[in-house]
Amino acid sequence: MTLFSLAKKNIQGNFRHYFVYFISMVFSMVIYFTFVSLQYSEEIQDSIELSDTMSFMFMISSFMLLIFVSTFIFYSNSFFTRRRKKELGLYSLLGLKKKTIGKLLFYENLVMGLIALVVGIIVGSLLSKLFSLILIRLMGSAAEVDFGISFLAIAQTSAVFIVIIMITSIQGYRLIYRFKLIELFQAEKQEEQMPKASFLSSLAGVVLLVISYWLIVRPFPDVLDLEYLLKNYGVSLLLLVTGTHLFFRSVTFYLLKLLQTNKRLFYKGTNLINISQLIYRIRGNARTFTVIALLSAATIGFFTATYTGYYGNKESARGLVPFSYNHLSKNEQQDEKVRNIIQKDKVHAIESALDIPVVPVKGELSFDLDYELNPVKLIPESTYNQAAKALDREFNATLSGNEAVVIQPRLTEYAPSDFIGENIKLNLPQDTMRLKFVDMFKGSVLPFDYPDFYIVISDQLFAEITEYMPAKTYKVYEVENETATKETAKTLNKLLSEDFQVSSTFYTQYKQGKEGNALNLFIFGFLGLVFLAATGSILYFKQLTEANEVRYNYEILRNIGVSKSKIRNSIKKQILFVFSLPLVIGIVHSIVILIFITNFISNLIGSSILIPIITAITAFILIYAIYYLMTAHTYNKIVNR
Amino acid sequence: MKTILEAKRVKKIYGTRGNVFTALEDIDLSVQEGEFVGIMGPSGAGKSTLLNILATIDEPTSGDITIDSSNITDMSEDTLAAFRHDKLGFIFQDYNLLDTLTVKENIILPLALAKTSVTDIAQRLNAVARRFGIEPILDKYPYQISGGQKQRTAASRAIITNPTLVLADEPTGALDSKSATDLLETLKDLSSNDNATILMVTHDAYAASYSQRILFIKDGKLFTELIKGNKSRKKFFNKILDILAALGGEANDII
Repeated sequence: MTLFSLAKKNIQGNFRHYFVYFISMVFSMVIYFTFVSLQYSEEIQDSIELSDTMSFMFMISSFMLLIFVSTFIFYSNSFFTRRRKKELGLYSLLGLKKKTIGKLLFYENLVMGLIALVVGIIVGSLLSKLFSLILIRLMGSAAEVDFGISFLAIAQTSAVFIVIIMITSIQGYRLIYRFKLIELFQAEKQEEQMPKASFLSSLAGVVLLVISYWLIVRPFPDVLDLEYLLKNYGVSLLLLVTGTHLFFRSVTFYLLKLLQTNKRLFYKGTNLINISQLIYRIRGNARTFTVIALLSAATIGFFTATYTGYYGNKESARGLVPFSYNHLSKNEQQDEKVRNIIQKDKVHAIESALDIPVVPVKGELSFDLDYELNPVKLIPESTYNQAAKALDREFNATLSGNEAVVIQPRLTEYAPSDFIGENIKLNLPQDTMRLKFVDMFKGSVLPFDYPDFYIVISDQLFAEITEYMPAKTYKVYEVENETATKETAKTLNKLLSEDFQVSSTFYTQYKQGKEGNALNLFIFGFLGLVFLAATGSILYFKQLTEANEVRYNYEILRNIGVSKSKIRNSIKKQILFVFSLPLVIGIVHSIVILIFITNFISNLIGSSILIPIITAITAFILIYAIYYLMTAHTYNKIVNR
Repeated sequence: MKTILEAKRVKKIYGTRGNVFTALEDIDLSVQEGEFVGIMGPSGAGKSTLLNILATIDEPTSGDITIDSSNITDMSEDTLAAFRHDKLGFIFQDYNLLDTLTVKENIILPLALAKTSVTDIAQRLNAVARRFGIEPILDKYPYQISGGQKQRTAASRAIITNPTLVLADEPTGALDSKSATDLLETLKDLSSNDNATILMVTHDAYAASYSQRILFIKDGKLFTELIKGNKSRKKFFNKILDILAALGGEANDII
């Protein structure tokens, strides 16, 4: 028998095991290739206005993906070879030279890897079209997607995976040299001892988790610098990882042990079997659980954050640039030119046009406010009311004497109670003037320009002040269907740059936000799906390996009179526990991460976080549920025949 | 006296057409309450097949089996499981203990499955543990104890539900002679003092000599029956050896 025919017979005989390994390789390659070809896709790059940021995002993500994918391949490789140790031992026993066995494994892995690569690239080319379609849809661009194949993507994918395949092949070659014959034979039945519960490490697990949660959610200090960020979140991440691991290793173990002491519960039906089986298995699964919980947490957390950003983009753009077009009036000529451009765009008819006079003055508050005040911008009451009406807002100011209303500075979370009853002293050229705050409104009428501190005062007072202080006039326009004013916005942007810190046109602000958010959403969604699929598969395979190991136990149970349906229920309960434990911890972690994220970008996200988080968690649970059903079904088929 | 087990014309055929093998042929068998019955025969005679069928783990090709006045041949899988659980106790050669459970948990497993109350469980556990002398090892795991201790654990599990019939398949097969004697003494004691009905398959004449009656099977058929009566165990043992010689003695006869 030649080496080749032996290898061929091997593959035929162990087809199922080979198939699983093969599929996980193909899966990794498809994912990587799809992602890389999106990165290189010209259609996508052309249709986007912030290409630099995009390439950077893609680069970071594809690097993360690469790390993840290679770990996954190494994991399935070791899973695959562990199952074959006995077979290799047998060859050795029958007199095959170590070198020959090594070569056998080397070529086997190499050929399988190369075939997987070809299949992966073919499937990946089809999938990348689908995903680029999704991405372009999300961004709201109208680019055409044709079926061009990116050679750069093929080259990069091939290069990366040939290296990985070579490494796993060499590992295969070395396998036979690494172990003694006796070890190869005992690989499958290493006696497990009942592990001991340690109260101390359980306590440590809980304490570490609590500390890391606290570090993550605590509010920022007054001075926020990079050192604080690195230290605080570096430490909390470290604690979170160790804490999670200890949690699975010791805390759940300890809790299950505690359940065991409750005889009334423990000695009831199949609980006896379920609980002790779980206790036995939990240590071996602790690392897998940790990885899954952390990955789920990161994915749910960041996906929700980006989804919220995407979801709330329109609102957040409206907040930053309330009117469709805005500019500072500099001279008659330019004002006229701008008006003409806007009027020419008949599809987007002008709904309202306003002049907003603003007087910037120096002021001092009667109390400490953690916000840069000067110059304070004054707006007359009637103009504010008109603008609010044009923007369909409900605020309406009726002021008299020295009463004033603050407009909530954007990106802050001040409440009316912070201002009501307090004073501001304005330093005017002639004298000083004291204004009394009677309310705080939400909703500015001009584009964001730091410091964003506007005060609405009565028309009479405003007229008095403008007698000896010049007012700037801003011209603003609100048009129909402002989310589609691409051309006009483009023309105006060229003319009106630098009037504000944000864009002068609503459309540009909106579109940029949408693209950025869509890209983040896509990347996190993509990575999330990959993580989910991979971790789900890892759980699936781990459980099935276990099923093969504990088959004998269930035979005993059937022999002493446990019915098949009872065994099925017991299996379902155990698998449910195995699947829900890391998921629940992952969800709890992700909520903590979300609190951190909302802390970090506060009002930027703006709109409701509830719908995105429910969507993300539901999607997660659904996909996991499918894996759960699949695993329970196959497990039952293995042990309960 | 009550008849616990009644088997009529039990037949077991393996294989499909063209390649059939008759493992059991028209076996009739009857066991009374409190009896300790041994089943002997050379390898391949059909002892284990018979026991598996009586244990409801395997199905006969034809024939009727009644245990405690219910016919087990036409029960569904789930009813059978419940039946096994309520009426039968098992002792296997390889113990069949769960490594994930302690000795105590292994023993009470059938009671826990039946959702017996905790106080009842504790009472019964104490009784069987005392009887088999395994109190000191109750909190150990199977991999921490010896073969003899494992088998006593398995026997404890078999009788803790007070089964109608205890089935033992080569219970001493993997034990040293001291452990084997201890176990056999306890089984005998169970039968004579507690009126337990025991059916034991063995190929070991010494083990068989502890029973009251022995059925010999050869080539799937009942060969003969040997009753201890008032004979001493030593004498009974010699009788058994004689029959075994006759059973496996065909080759000698030819010479």
